[in-house]
Amino acid sequence: MAYKPQYYPGTTSVGKNRRKHMSGDLEKLRDISDADVVTVMGHRAPGADYPSTHPPLKEMGEPDCPIRQLVEPTPGAAAGDRIRYSQFADSMYNAPSVPYWRSYWGAINCRGADPGTLSGRQIIEARERDIEQYTKVQMDSEMTDVSLSSMRGCTVHGHSLRLAEDGTMFDMLARTEMGSDGKVSYVKDQVGIPLDKKVNVGKPMSEAEVAKRTTIFRHDNVAFGGAQGARKFDEGLIALHHMWERRSRWGFRPE
Amino acid sequence: MVTKSDTETVQIEIFPRRFLNPDTAQRLLDEIYRSGGVLRIMIQGPNLPRAVPYGPGKGLPIEEHKNMLLELGDQAIELRVKVGRIGLELESEEDIEGVRAACERTLPFSFDIKKRQLFHTKPTVSDYAKYGSEVEDKRILGMVDPKAKKERNLAMLSDSRGDS
Repeated sequence: MAYKPQYYPGTTSVGKNRRKHMSGDLEKLRDISDADVVTVMGHRAPGADYPSTHPPLKEMGEPDCPIRQLVEPTPGAAAGDRIRYSQFADSMYNAPSVPYWRSYWGAINCRGADPGTLSGRQIIEARERDIEQYTKVQMDSEMTDVSLSSMRGCTVHGHSLRLAEDGTMFDMLARTEMGSDGKVSYVKDQVGIPLDKKVNVGKPMSEAEVAKRTTIFRHDNVAFGGAQGARKFDEGLIALHHMWERRSRWGFRPE
Repeated sequence: MVTKSDTETVQIEIFPRRFLNPDTAQRLLDEIYRSGGVLRIMIQGPNLPRAVPYGPGKGLPIEEHKNMLLELGDQAIELRVKVGRIGLELESEEDIEGVRAACERTLPFSFDIKKRQLFHTKPTVSDYAKYGSEVEDKRILGMVDPKAKKERNLAMLSDSRGDS
């Protein structure tokens, strides 16, 4: 039987969602055009040429190296693109891809990417045309809810704050706005520079929907330690304790 | 046993489940002010900068945060935060119910009201640096951040001292 990665333990909806994110088996919920994704990222104008940091690999005459022969370069690396990034902040109020899960998705599913998780934000860096593609997957799929997640290159504050009255995550730079039709639009790019044209990213999910799709354990949704009064640890927690114990033991007594 | 005097003030904090839009905050403060017994009001929340503070867009104005005013009594103060908590000092315990009723009328979501000491009673080192050794009106203690400008962030709605 072929090996099938398990990614993450647990039988709860959160465990299942975490597995989905890590495996990249994601449901596509919306279709944001490439030009709109590029606009919100703000690194180049849509349709403009990709600036490069080195000539295409084919023209460079690479050294004879078995690894280079083995690993096919990503389109961005082959063309010599710049390294660029996209960074998302995701609310702790049941955002679908709370910290670490975008990074795990990136580390497992994106070639030539450098993901990183900080407090309340997740960044993925890659060659420009690669990161544009990876960002589009994130924005189009169930990893993103348009009111609880947003692309924020700087001034990312919002993950652990209460939501605004309209249910959107707090944004100090007011990059997104909720229209009277209930749809969310980006009015600024990820670093807060106003856009010429709004980028409509559609309607947010309902509260029930985000509760179903989230990857965060919360006492008011799916609790880590089971329901109150009926403690039953999720398999994820048992696995975590197991790893913690082993790591501590190895840390203290490596033999 | 210590008997509380009739004139002892009470401090409470209103903690709504969501951040308030400026117009909701205005309506809530109007209702609270009308309910009476308010000695001090303090508004807290995350900063709403007037310009992009970091990154490639540094210095660009944020139009959405401009011209947000809170009007109370005959004073207006520029709203520079997303309203997240409202601290109040009330004349007496009985005034809490009026505030609670005002919140219930105004807020479309749940809220908590906690009784706690919000404002410090003695001048701190920061107060000494800000106001000098003699603080004439003790009501200003603890009302603004040490680094904030008093003139910009503090408004006196009445000159009558609450405890006199």
